[in-house]
Amino acid sequence: MISRFGYIINLLKALERNVLHSFGHPPRELAIVQIYERQSSNPPKKFSIKDIIGDGMLLAVPKFRRTIEKRWKRKFGSPEYVWKMLVPKTNIKVCQDCGHHHERGRLCGNCYNRVESETKEIQAKIQEKLGLNPIEKDVIVLYEGENVPEMPNEFWEGKRIIEMKKERPQWFSKNLLQKSTQQPSSSKDVKPTDLA
Amino acid sequence: MNQAQVTKLVSKLRIKVAPEPRRLRNPKGPEGRLDKLRKTVTGLIKFERIELNFNRADEARQYAERLISEAIVHGDCHKPTMEIADYWLLEKELIHKLFKVLVPRYENCNTAFTKMYRAPRPLYSRNIEKAVLELRGNPYPSLINKQYSNRHLIQNVLLDAAKYDYRQAKYAEMADKIGKTENQELNKLSKKDEITTE
Repeated sequence: MISRFGYIINLLKALERNVLHSFGHPPRELAIVQIYERQSSNPPKKFSIKDIIGDGMLLAVPKFRRTIEKRWKRKFGSPEYVWKMLVPKTNIKVCQDCGHHHERGRLCGNCYNRVESETKEIQAKIQEKLGLNPIEKDVIVLYEGENVPEMPNEFWEGKRIIEMKKERPQWFSKNLLQKSTQQPSSSKDVKPTDLA
Repeated sequence: MNQAQVTKLVSKLRIKVAPEPRRLRNPKGPEGRLDKLRKTVTGLIKFERIELNFNRADEARQYAERLISEAIVHGDCHKPTMEIADYWLLEKELIHKLFKVLVPRYENCNTAFTKMYRAPRPLYSRNIEKAVLELRGNPYPSLINKQYSNRHLIQNVLLDAAKYDYRQAKYAEMADKIGKTENQELNKLSKKDEITTE
C-alpha cells in the first residue's frame, strides 16, 4: 500500500517536472534559492552604562596597570632624592663628655638637654632680677655656697651678680684656665745683708 | 683713582656670609622677612642664647654681627648707627645694652661675636634643622667642652703625671724581678759546679 502511494507521488512529481519543463522553466534542482529573513519588529538597543549601574554610582578606578619601574620607585624611593630603604648611619659619634651617641657636626642631645634647662633657669633668674631697670651691666652668675671671687675692684665695676639658689652643677665647672690677677703682696722685700 | 675703597667703609664680618640673602618665606614678603629677623636679633641680644630654625638663625646672625661691629666702630654718638640700632632692636632698653655691655665686651675681640651650633635632631620626627645661636662670653654653661683634648688642661697634666709614675713603678718592679731570677740562676750554677768538683 505504502509502496503504491510512493509510486503515485513519484509519478506526480515526474508529471509536474515534465509539464513545467515544457513551459521553459529550469528544473527544480537548479532553481534560485531565495532566503527569507524575518525582520524583527523592534531594532536592538545601543549599549549604555546606565543599564548596568541603574540607580547606583561608579567610583574612579585605575584605567591602566602601573609599570614595574613606577611601582618600585614608589616602594623604595630614589637614592638621589628620597631613599626609603633602611640604611645604616655612618655619622654617629660618641660624646666625649657623657658617652651618649650623637650625630657628627651636631651637639650631643644629652649634654644639650642638661645645658638647656640650666640656661633657661639662669635666663629666668636674670629677667626676674632685672625687672624694669636698664640693662647696663654685664652678668655674673654665682651659685649657693660660692663667694664672690676675690678680684680687683676694677673687675667688679659694671657687673651685675645673679645668685642661683642652688649648688653649682658638677658638670658646669668654672673655667680652669681663667686668668686671675693677683693683688700685690703686702710683704715688704728685705734686702740681704752681710753678703760680702 | 681718587676713590675710597668701599671694603674699608663697610665693617667686615668674621663669619661666612652667603652671596645672596635667603628669601625666607613670609606672607608679607621681604618686609615680613625683615620683621621676623628683627625679632630674632632682638631676642639674641636680650637672651644671649636662643634656639631656632637653622635658616633663620643663620640669616639673623649676619645682621646681629653687623649691628655689633657697627656699634663698635662708630660708638653711640654716631647718628646713623643709632638709627640702625633703633631699627634692629625692638625693645629699646637693649640699645643701652648694646652700647654699654656688648661693645666693651667685644672691643678687643678678634673673632666673631656670635656662635652657632646645629641643635640635636630628634629621632622619628619631622626633619627641621634647628640651630643654637649665642653671643660669645655669655654667663651660661658652655655648649661644647672642647678642652678635653687640651694637653695643658690641669686634669690632663695630672693624668699624664699619674701615668708616668705608674709606668716608672712598673719598670722598677720588672727590673727587680729580673735581678732576682738572675741571682737565683747564678746560685744554682755555682752549686752544680761544687757538686761536680766533689
